[in-house]
Amino acid sequence: MTSGTDVWKGYLLAWDETYTLIQSPFSKGDDRVFGADSDYTTLAIAALQHRVSLGDTIECISLAEGVNGSIFTMATDVDVADESTYDSCKWDLLIGDDATVVLVQRDVQIELPELETFVEVDEDFQLAIAGAWEKELQEAHVSQGAYVSSSQYNEGGVARMALSGQQFGELLVWPPRQLNEKGDREDGRVSLTPTGNVASWTKLSAAGAPSEFSLRAPLLGGLTTVFLDLDDGPKGVFLMVDDEENDVNIGDAVELVVRRIYAQEGMIRYGLRGRII
Amino acid sequence: MVDVAVVGAGQTKYGNHALGLKGMWAEAALNAFESVDGDFSPSQIDEAFIGSIAFGGSQLGNTAALLTEHSAMDGVPVRRVENACASSGFAFRDAWMAIKSGQADVVVAGGIEKMNDLTPERKRFWLGVSGDTEWERLAGLTFPGTYALMARRYFHEFDSNHDDLVHISVKNHAHGAMNPLAHIQKQVSFEKAAGGFMVADPLTLYDCCPTSDGASCVILAADHVVKQFTDTPVWVRGSGASSDRLALHDRPSITQLKATAEASKRAYQQSGITPRDIDLAEVHDCFTIAELMATEDLGFAQRGQGGAFAREGRGMLNQGDVTINSSGGLKSKGHPLGATGTGQIVEVFKQLRGQVADGRQVRDAETALTHNVGGSGATCAVHVLGRERQ
Repeated sequence: MTSGTDVWKGYLLAWDETYTLIQSPFSKGDDRVFGADSDYTTLAIAALQHRVSLGDTIECISLAEGVNGSIFTMATDVDVADESTYDSCKWDLLIGDDATVVLVQRDVQIELPELETFVEVDEDFQLAIAGAWEKELQEAHVSQGAYVSSSQYNEGGVARMALSGQQFGELLVWPPRQLNEKGDREDGRVSLTPTGNVASWTKLSAAGAPSEFSLRAPLLGGLTTVFLDLDDGPKGVFLMVDDEENDVNIGDAVELVVRRIYAQEGMIRYGLRGRII
Repeated sequence: MVDVAVVGAGQTKYGNHALGLKGMWAEAALNAFESVDGDFSPSQIDEAFIGSIAFGGSQLGNTAALLTEHSAMDGVPVRRVENACASSGFAFRDAWMAIKSGQADVVVAGGIEKMNDLTPERKRFWLGVSGDTEWERLAGLTFPGTYALMARRYFHEFDSNHDDLVHISVKNHAHGAMNPLAHIQKQVSFEKAAGGFMVADPLTLYDCCPTSDGASCVILAADHVVKQFTDTPVWVRGSGASSDRLALHDRPSITQLKATAEASKRAYQQSGITPRDIDLAEVHDCFTIAELMATEDLGFAQRGQGGAFAREGRGMLNQGDVTINSSGGLKSKGHPLGATGTGQIVEVFKQLRGQVADGRQVRDAETALTHNVGGSGATCAVHVLGRERQ
């Protein structure tokens, strides 16, 4: 198979040998819009992950403005081109103004298909969520109590976005430890398969949401968190995506996708969220 | 080696306090001083350990020195002990060790927390701060959420359901209704507790402890000075403590707390008794599922039988195998985080000396246990106390 359309990481997908198109499935009237926890960065990461799933080896790409390059690299381990490396990169990531990204081989002419499937979002909800993100992104917005600094967040960024763990002998460990069981530094990176099964779950009421989520939780009707037995062995806790129904049960299969988690001090914090497959 | 006894213990009422930090601590300390049967002066105190997590952002540094300054303990070597909700359980253990080591004869252990002096938004400060913040809180988890994950998994693995948790809530409210120092002094019906507001599915409001202010203070003494203070000391017969991985997802099982099992095993071994010898236990029921699992981890029920233990009322005051949470527990007495551990000691001190009124006295109480857990089980201190020295 050399081309097709599908759903990928919760987004609409079209592709052939030369490009991957990723588009939000949501619309408001005639406009294609992002879901509650998506943006161009999350779409771009999904596009790159799709090319990797096809077996392409991509070492660097040029990114359009609007995509967070450091988050993209943490999530994909692919370098973002600068002026000195631009010519050596073979792929470009382009964005449209309709919640769409295209990852395309350089200098290839493509004709993009129209993707028909979409979900009409409630306009009031969409405006409220967008407004909440705007407030959350204000420089002065800082979480109460459990402050995670930028350096602390970045230190765990690759583990958080790429599910990167460590191999301690026969034991696969995630999240990574600073020292292994012998007291030595362990810098080797092992990427875990981003799928697992629900061992437990809960839905936290909006009133009890931690301050990182206190603006959006009331709009979302609470926060759904799953405790996953990952397919590779380790366990983890993850929020479910905000823009799909989350009727979770123990035993459900879940895939992990990169989405927005929250914002603090003017920066969006990304991470993995679960979606039922 | 020297034996250690509790010779005095006091606390504030738990709840929403008008008093500030200094006032609450002074009240708890004064109650402890006045509970000593013989002559006692704060100048006799050799060392002090005060448990607390935080102060809503105020006076984070040198808190303990501020508190001793306001309770006639000027010059006493003091420090704050922080181990989340187990802070003063560990402060008590540190005090016990100070006497055991021979370096001190009279030591104060206490705890304090002021949680209700924040606006509703700023009160979120307290949510989930003692878990693995970077991974758990950023997955939307506060402690109601963390314990909800444990509860749902427990129901999946064993013959149990939410009704078992309701029985625990009803029991602890029944006990707390008789405790004038409790935060919530009212009984609740099974139907009301079963239909409570859903906080973190499957845990309702009636599965969760309240947010409390409070302080507690305990005076420990070495065996060779005990007689100066009382003829009816309460002996510390065993002290066990342990720790576990901070994050729930780093543990092999989420339906038991390894730290509780190991801490209690050490405390039982040291005291030379078994769970069957315990007449009353103050158990860390920050959430009802925590008490259910603790009845197993402490050895009162077999693994998987905690639900039946609750259902059959085997922890009810003077009715079951062992009275669990005669004070009302964290659920009803309240949970001023740092004060809870030594607050449990205050309860068993009074119970073992037969000083509890209002129909709440455990009959023929000879031996008691306290169980104080930090966060979702990363730290735990268990103590066995008795009327008899050994």
